[in-house]
Amino acid sequence: MPEHELPEGIITRDEVAELALLFDRYEFAFDPRSIAAKEAESDFEESIRLFFAERVQPRFPSISFVTFHCRIKSLCRAYLRKNAP
Amino acid sequence: MKACLSFSDILEVGQPQIQEMQRIGDAYPAADVPGACVALTRQVRIVEGIVVQTYGVAASLARKAEDLNEIAEIWSRMSFFCRSALNTLSSLKHKYPYCGTPELYDMVLDYKLACEKRYKGVMEELACQSTSFPKGLLPEMK
Repeated sequence: MPEHELPEGIITRDEVAELALLFDRYEFAFDPRSIAAKEAESDFEESIRLFFAERVQPRFPSISFVTFHCRIKSLCRAYLRKNAP
Repeated sequence: MKACLSFSDILEVGQPQIQEMQRIGDAYPAADVPGACVALTRQVRIVEGIVVQTYGVAASLARKAEDLNEIAEIWSRMSFFCRSALNTLSSLKHKYPYCGTPELYDMVLDYKLACEKRYKGVMEELACQSTSFPKGLLPEMK
């Protein structure tokens, strides 16, 4: 089955792709001190916090922020491996 | 070309340059001895380049690796490499305060903290893998 036919989540595939790009820019930055890396990390964390507060917590109260945060990062890694630039 | 290097090989290539920095630092009784600062500054630049380059290799490998345990090992070893440089620099930055050593110390410390942060993040991801996740929260991916 093509990926676009697989079920979406309340966090969509496009949103995972956007998060993965931010994750890539800071987690694998060659210079971890660069402003670009720090900004990407800040944007990533802000997005995760927003998704959790607005969509995850109200519908899935048993999921902790730490667990959600971890799973998103693993999903980003998987996305990046499949979509290497 | 079929020859290739492992991450261990790359770390080994860098280690003698850290030792050379220590050797040069020990070779002079003080920083104001003629030639001391010039020699040490030159080696400081070499070590700086090696740390930056090796960190870049670690980041590339961590991006490609599929196994979280492997990624954790990459960051752990890179952190250890930084620690080795910091151990040498911690004494040299006092003996040679105007030869680039404090700046290199701060840079390597930042790189080491970046490695530790990534290592900790990977360990958290490993711990989360056993947690079941409800369907419908995240998109299904192939």
